[in-house]
Amino acid sequence: MRSDAALPAGDLPAGLVEPGLTVGKVTAGSLDDQVLAFPDQRPPKQWYLALAFTSTMLLIGLFFMGVTVYTGIGSWGNNSPVFWGFGIINFVFWVGIGHAGTLISAILFIFRKRWRNAIARFAEAMTIFAVMCAGLFPLLHVGRPWLAYWLFPYPNQRALWVNFRSPLVWDVFAVSTYFSVSLMFWFLGLIPDIASMRDRTTSKLRKVIYTVLSVGWRGAASHWQHYEKAYLLLAGLATGLVLSVHSVVSFDFATSVVPAWHMTIFPPYFVAGAIFAGFAMVVMVLVVVRESMQLKNLITMRHLEVMNKVILGMSCLMGYSYMMEGFTGWYSMNPTIQHTFLNFVSGTYAWAGWLTISCNIVVPQLLWFRKCRTSYFWMILVSIAVTIGMWFERFSIIVISLHQDYLPSAWRLYRPTMVDYGILLGSFGLFFTLVLLFARVLPVIATTEVKAILPDAQPSHHGDERHV
Amino acid sequence: MSETSYAVLGIFDNPDALMKAIPKARAAKLGTVEAYTPYAIHGIEEALGLRRSPLGGMVLVMGVLGAITAFGFEYWISAIDYPIITGGKAPNSWEAFIPIMFEVTVLFATFTAGLGMLLLLNKLPFFGHPVLSSKSITGITRDRFALAIEAEDESFDSTAAARALLEAGALEVEVLPAPDRSPFLTSDYILRTLGGIFAACVVAGLAMFFITKWFPLLAPMKHMQDQPRLDAQRPSAFFKDGHGMQLPVAGAVARGYLPAATGTQEQAASLVNPLPRTPEVFAIGRKVFTTRCQVCHGALANGVGSLTAAYGAKPANLQAQQFRDYPDGKIYWAIVNGKNAMPSHAPYLSETERWAVVHYVRALQRAQNAKDEDLKVVAP
Repeated sequence: MRSDAALPAGDLPAGLVEPGLTVGKVTAGSLDDQVLAFPDQRPPKQWYLALAFTSTMLLIGLFFMGVTVYTGIGSWGNNSPVFWGFGIINFVFWVGIGHAGTLISAILFIFRKRWRNAIARFAEAMTIFAVMCAGLFPLLHVGRPWLAYWLFPYPNQRALWVNFRSPLVWDVFAVSTYFSVSLMFWFLGLIPDIASMRDRTTSKLRKVIYTVLSVGWRGAASHWQHYEKAYLLLAGLATGLVLSVHSVVSFDFATSVVPAWHMTIFPPYFVAGAIFAGFAMVVMVLVVVRESMQLKNLITMRHLEVMNKVILGMSCLMGYSYMMEGFTGWYSMNPTIQHTFLNFVSGTYAWAGWLTISCNIVVPQLLWFRKCRTSYFWMILVSIAVTIGMWFERFSIIVISLHQDYLPSAWRLYRPTMVDYGILLGSFGLFFTLVLLFARVLPVIATTEVKAILPDAQPSHHGDERHV
Repeated sequence: MSETSYAVLGIFDNPDALMKAIPKARAAKLGTVEAYTPYAIHGIEEALGLRRSPLGGMVLVMGVLGAITAFGFEYWISAIDYPIITGGKAPNSWEAFIPIMFEVTVLFATFTAGLGMLLLLNKLPFFGHPVLSSKSITGITRDRFALAIEAEDESFDSTAAARALLEAGALEVEVLPAPDRSPFLTSDYILRTLGGIFAACVVAGLAMFFITKWFPLLAPMKHMQDQPRLDAQRPSAFFKDGHGMQLPVAGAVARGYLPAATGTQEQAASLVNPLPRTPEVFAIGRKVFTTRCQVCHGALANGVGSLTAAYGAKPANLQAQQFRDYPDGKIYWAIVNGKNAMPSHAPYLSETERWAVVHYVRALQRAQNAKDEDLKVVAP
């Protein structure tokens, strides 16, 4: 089910024949030797350098998280009327990054896009790490993270329950469900691969660890049958979930009455933005992985090109959303909403607005050219632009709307502090540290899934006459 | 031939050969036929005659259960146990419960799909299966395909099975010994496990007891009442003058306490009493008069009060003609600014109370100098 056999060329018109997903001769055995060998090898010097760099970022972040916990939220720049500053900006940003992974692993699976198989594992891992980064921010923003369990409805001695009409409570459920489901999805996918690693490693310690992690997987046909079914069901469930999670995140904004937040376009607009930012991050990381781990034959330029096409499509959707925001402001005849939109293009924070528009709408248009879609320089340029642009989009949405709303006497500019910047840096450090560790200890490509779509991987039964 | 082998594995190097061998192995009817493959092979479940996976139904049931659980929980909390109205919504506004209902549905369904597949259907984790310790397993999880004829009972004939597999095209065969079936949960093992858990609980409990006893509150984990704050009577480094309590900003006025009327008493004569003559106003005036004025001016406002002798001053006899002719404004001025030995009463009388006392003094004056027509007002 999961793994459609490579389409036979046979009598199909030339234009409909899919080009191969691998370069050169790749067999099941060579795939294992190429991908599963990494954890058994000593990583190169560059890996240690990169890890030192990212863990330094992480340590800086940890220091500022300590400052926040010790002195309180007063150390952040949030103040009336901008009570939602970096904390929420970073939360939305990181949850969005995570969405690309679920899109690749679940939605593209449902659509039977076979190019997803080589990149799904990495994208799923990035989902999990991104959601971990995202979770940090609400946790710190509650001020007393050791009491964060108060967010969940549990019987307590204060006889209090949470307010189920609050989108913030929806968020708690959505993000924690998203994390659990992504972890489950990722782990299930890893089991057969870890079983392969268990059976090829020579180290005793690794053997024990892999044996436990692979839960005694032995590849029985009766197990595969249930496994494939579970994977299909999980993909279907995760598809609905991924669309719901960023919709719920957008409800935090859309259900309030703050000008330019109270709009019905917010849920689809947020989901599109999430996929947009996530794909940019995946492209950026995959280029590095592809080069540094010599996986060019498995993660081909075709994979990157298809992902760049998705980025281009999402960029156009974002452009439509921005125009729609302006239209809503104009059509509402509400001077406050119009004022907020004008602030986006000509206010104090107009630089953030124009950075958003140029990075998210203008720069990705380069990807209309095939040359840019297949060139490292241009695709990395676009990906970095999109990452910056999407961060500043959340900055614009939150800060521009809040700093000047209905009550002019309460207007005030927002100034993030050193602690804000430090924690943002730390979240990037956490993300890339986890990515590096993952690349070191677990298979970065879902070998089992790729094996299943190699040429001749599936039997030529069912009286398939096209297959010679 | 009766023996204790568990199964015979036949190894193939491509899926086509495996698929062709399956019907032959099944036709030999020597035992259960099972395949071990590095990835899922299409159509193998039909070839092996496996039943359809029941996982879809399980997930559906648990998903529906998740939806009902979440909705029931939210409804019970919001509408029955803790009906607090927020945002002007009715306690049973079910529309708002849908997002969480959806998430919990997905959560239940996902965990049923994942854990149901692993734990219930595939009976994993299980580390004791003979295939795992076979020589062929390194190939099975790599690029080889194994077809197994597994023993159903004691009468399993491994030689015949091996022959059948070789005839079906297997490149090589491996006979797997029966698994070690020594009981896992011996009473000794259970006792040791329980003992270990008990010891761990004791250690953890004692540790928690002493930690909370010695370090009840560590640095950031303080109670909310322990945060830095200004105490009125304590020094504070927060303000430049080092006082916790600060004087009001120059010109600040407390609510209801307007500053004393400026100007002379003659200028105040034109002020008009803004209060109506109602029983409530007289009640306020009487209360203020008895607490503030009576000690000196006397209960009848005739200047004979209980403090007069001790005080040594001569309070005004408000019943005198001079004061009965005063306009309201002049009495008000005297209350606010004080006169002769009488201090200003402005600091503790609100605007309403000041004017209410004026009314009350007027009433006392009229009561002490009542005319015949006043009686008609009282007696209808």
